[in-house]
Amino acid sequence: MHYPEPISKLIDSFMKLPGIGPKTAARLAFHVLDMKEDTVLEFSKALVDAKRDLTFCSVCGHITDTDPCRICKDESRNKTMVCVVQEPKDVIAMEKMRDFNGLYHVLHGAISPMDGIGPEDINIPDLLKRLQDETVQEVILATNPTIEGEATAMYISRLIKPSGIRTTRIAHGLPVGGDLEYADEVTLSKALEGRREL
Amino acid sequence: MHIEQLKLRNYRSYESLDLSFSPNINVLIGENAQGKTNIMEAIYVLAMAKSHRTSNDRELIRWGADYGKIEGAVQRKYGVLPLELTLSKKGKKARVNHLEQQRLSDYIGQLNVVMFAPEDLHLIKGSPQVRRRFLDMEIGQVSRVYLHDLLQFHKVMRQRNAILKANQGRSGLTDVMFDVYTDQYVDMAIRIIRKRFEFAEMLQKWAEPIHKGISRGLEELVITYETLKDIEPDQSAEEMAARLRERLEGLRQRELDRGVTLAGPHRDDLTFLVNGHDVQVYGSQGQQRTAALSLKLAEIELLRQETGESPVLLLDDVLSELDDYRQSHLLNTIQGQVQTLVTTTNVDGIMHETIQKADLYRVSAGTAEHENHDD
Ligand SMILES: Nc1ncnc2c1ncn2[C@@H]1O[C@H](COP(=O)(O)OP(=O)(O)OP(=O)(O)O)[C@@H](O)[C@H]1O
Ligand SMILES: [Mg+2]
Ligand SMILES: [Zn+2]
Repeated sequence: MHYPEPISKLIDSFMKLPGIGPKTAARLAFHVLDMKEDTVLEFSKALVDAKRDLTFCSVCGHITDTDPCRICKDESRNKTMVCVVQEPKDVIAMEKMRDFNGLYHVLHGAISPMDGIGPEDINIPDLLKRLQDETVQEVILATNPTIEGEATAMYISRLIKPSGIRTTRIAHGLPVGGDLEYADEVTLSKALEGRREL
Repeated sequence: MHIEQLKLRNYRSYESLDLSFSPNINVLIGENAQGKTNIMEAIYVLAMAKSHRTSNDRELIRWGADYGKIEGAVQRKYGVLPLELTLSKKGKKARVNHLEQQRLSDYIGQLNVVMFAPEDLHLIKGSPQVRRRFLDMEIGQVSRVYLHDLLQFHKVMRQRNAILKANQGRSGLTDVMFDVYTDQYVDMAIRIIRKRFEFAEMLQKWAEPIHKGISRGLEELVITYETLKDIEPDQSAEEMAARLRERLEGLRQRELDRGVTLAGPHRDDLTFLVNGHDVQVYGSQGQQRTAALSLKLAEIELLRQETGESPVLLLDDVLSELDDYRQSHLLNTIQGQVQTLVTTTNVDGIMHETIQKADLYRVSAGTAEHENHDD
């Protein structure tokens, strides 16, 4: 089907989003045509602002609009515990739970030799630097329960074991092979209780 | 369990087909290349989400069509279960009770089938790969944990191989990441090995008396799963893991030379001994055939044991291949107990009364019709 160019451009743009195919994109594009101009402007500004104003926290790697992020700056949080996760969305899932009061470290991925991703390609060197002063006493490894997530957790624990820092791995209740993001809050909280020494 | 209804849309040679089956014996009669095997295959795919003839799902979609669909109504102990499998160029979607399943491993096992086709004779004669595939498919039908472990195993092995490849040709390797992936590899490998030992033992238990029956008491069949030489079924998982680890260390340099993992369940085999001799090497054609038949009948028993219900038996072109004695043995075993679909070009060669009483379907050029007995 041939659409006028502005529409087909909009459809193409929507299709760049995950999980959106041509049909949904067309539906969204025509919906935009029916929206008030103000709303559309607000929407496009929100998109641009999110991209421009958000960066990664230089301490923990979480997405943030201030550096260091609000979590790293929060004096009331327990600085002796660091929870290592794969993605920013995992921090958000953990924060929703409200049970964990320590700090985070976001790896932005997992080690996967067949994809050419080694320890240096994700946020592991920064983690090791972060652990050099004596503040952190426990590292909780909350990478995904996938092959790569497990391997990454085992790798980190072997590297920091000699330093005497306690390392634990969340384990129970998470669906095997699943992503942390999909685990509901109860499961996550159980998982935290059942963390084991690595 | 039995399959009550089958609907095909754009599947192989069928544009549209609706069939109802009897819970007993169903005979599909037709000339060559009319679409008999296509129906058997469709039922197999509905059960296993995968064909027994090809690993390319696109071949299953009717030429010129964008997608194909198999629907079945399966009568189980607790009621009728609708199953649906949609095949498209992008992939397949599986639905149980109209609900889409996120993982195929959750779908497989809702309908259990045992297929016996001429190529199953290769099970004994063919390469170890054929027997490993047999093990994986059959264990997968009863254990979704096994299917899941198998996927994980192959993934870990690919990761481990990637590290070996990246270091190919070096002498020696000290890398924490390699150690981590080796640990995971050993862990997954032992899980697979233990499950296969357990399965082979059950298979042996059921197949041995069946084989004795078919061979008129003359032959004793022994089925064993063969893995690393010093790994035995009665060892603990830790012991097995230690042996595999040791073996891998011994192979380290060769693994680095070749860039692949050289020990593990991906190199194992299933062996069949008749009266102490390897059937693959020494067995006559008839003996190999009997062993294959015993194995299939044992599978029926095994599935019945594991799931509490009889699987559906698919006999493609094999009945006429068996001599009268083996035919009767087979038909007497399944009579009234196992829903069976049989294909043949001709019923004349099959005199058994079970077949004479069966429901007949005439298959011709992409259509199939139920036929009455009285004509
Ligand atoms: N994707 C497809 N689309 C259309 N037709 C197909 C497709 N795949 C196979 N066929 C046709 O299906 C026919 C084969 O059907 P099938 O294998 O079921 O035959 P059969 O009745 O079992 O024959 P035989 O007695 O020789 O085993 C072939 O003629 C082939 O051309
Ligand atoms: Mg055929
Ligand atoms: Zn931070």
